[in-house]
Amino acid sequence: MSMTSRERWLALFNRQKPDRIPTDYWATNEVTERLQRELGCPTLRDLCNKLHIDRPDVIGANRTVTKHPVIPDADIWGMRYRPVDYGTGKYHEFAFHPLAEMTEVEQIHAFQWPSPDDHDFEAARRQFAEHDGRFPLLCGYYEPFLRYCAMRGIEQSMIDLVAEPDIADAILQHLFDYHYRLNARLFELGQGRIDLTFVAEDLGGQASLLMSLDHIRRFILPNQKKMADLARSFGIHIHYHTDGAARAVIPDLIQVTGIETLNPIQWRCPGMEREGLVRDFGDKIIFHGAVDNQQTLPFGTPADVRQEVLDNLRIFAWPARWICAPCHNLQPISPTANILALYETIWEEGRL
Amino acid sequence: MSKVTELYDAILCGNLKLAVEVTETALKGGADPKALVDTYMIPAMDEVGRRFEANEYFVPELLIAARAMKGALQLVRPLLLAQKVQPVGRVAIGTVKGDLHDIGKNLVAAMLEGGGFEIVDLGVDVSAEKFVQAIKEKQVNVVCLSALLTTTMPGMKDIIKAIEDAGARQRVKILVGGAPVTRQYADQIGADGFSDNASGAVAEARKLLGIAAH
Repeated sequence: MSMTSRERWLALFNRQKPDRIPTDYWATNEVTERLQRELGCPTLRDLCNKLHIDRPDVIGANRTVTKHPVIPDADIWGMRYRPVDYGTGKYHEFAFHPLAEMTEVEQIHAFQWPSPDDHDFEAARRQFAEHDGRFPLLCGYYEPFLRYCAMRGIEQSMIDLVAEPDIADAILQHLFDYHYRLNARLFELGQGRIDLTFVAEDLGGQASLLMSLDHIRRFILPNQKKMADLARSFGIHIHYHTDGAARAVIPDLIQVTGIETLNPIQWRCPGMEREGLVRDFGDKIIFHGAVDNQQTLPFGTPADVRQEVLDNLRIFAWPARWICAPCHNLQPISPTANILALYETIWEEGRL
Repeated sequence: MSKVTELYDAILCGNLKLAVEVTETALKGGADPKALVDTYMIPAMDEVGRRFEANEYFVPELLIAARAMKGALQLVRPLLLAQKVQPVGRVAIGTVKGDLHDIGKNLVAAMLEGGGFEIVDLGVDVSAEKFVQAIKEKQVNVVCLSALLTTTMPGMKDIIKAIEDAGARQRVKILVGGAPVTRQYADQIGADGFSDNASGAVAEARKLLGIAAH
């Protein structure tokens, strides 16, 4: 008898062999809308069912406050955005960084930070109660340095790590407090039902780490560990994301943060070669992603995509543990035929 | 000049204040501005680049070194202009249309500037027409195209075509870079050079212009 999607994912976390390789779906809104339209699927879940995708359900709490109390036209973080058209779609880019000009720690503390209380926890409670358990349930999100860069500007954020460590500590503490309190509320509400929480930080660039291991250990990992410990105290697994060439930090992520998955496995980046990852970390983490989104999916043929999925199966499938997914969000530039090749191949060949 | 070796160290350590102070003192003491650039600033940024490629430096260290270098260069540049000292090359750089990501582009620009190039920074979301205009009006001999997104990367090809159509292709060397860009892609679209990191971009630009490395 075949497993449910949830059973398939959890088998891997429990180091048991699932009936087939679990799958996941990450895509921009444009891609999802296109696929739904082309495949005649009214909802995302319909689309996932059609393509046999085991995508987790996500429950969070909607904000009851959506605007910053002081900064006009800004969201709760004081951010303003503007749409950028790249021809085949749009994305929202930051247009205002509320912390950019601050030079003193006191200014950081005086900023009106959002409150985790401003959320509709009742709606979340109902969603938890109604969740049918067919799909894994993901709840909680923590990626503070990404938010930091958005609020302060990426270059100044990087400079802070070297030149303004007190400011870095202050901003990171505010972000941690917010997410810790919010996640704690959600974890309590969904106690016994939540399977995974998403912990992330983009530590890798295209060729190497973005920041030194010393800086990662100093600024990123301690709070990440606290957040992961909170989730673990509720029996929730740690689903981890870092882009890029992150090989040098994986041992720390395993030992300190206690990651259980690693997403998205950009295997074309130096140090991220698949065989080496399996050799060195295959007994410790689940590999999530690994279908290349920079070359194969956008610029390859369906046959290239199929071959890549087969290669991944050979390298990552049991006794290593793999959840098949694109490396990060599918982009509109990737043809539908390539996306279908991904999911058709894993459905046809992914039985274990 | 012995005190001026501090300029090299200040840039390497990203100490903006010290870099500016040392440069001010040296210039007041009659130091040759071109010598300051050639002897201390360019070698310091070359060493920053070497450390970056060796994974000893990362983006934060590179940024603060560039900031220190720019602080010193700001004092020196007017004097170079007055002496009619020519840069080793003139570079128009920008992130291609539809793409607003600029940290990679800025790092490349800073490293090129630190390598003695003059930078015409066209910013982000730059159209083909703006690149063509920069070639015609600013007398640049190198064009650098940056893209972070797979969705905007194909725009590089259109820019190269626009430069060809404008009859300006022979005047410039074109370098491309950014996360999804590969050497193979650079060759495919007819770029002259490619680098996957900021330091490599300086070496590539020097190679294309036939400039000896320091």
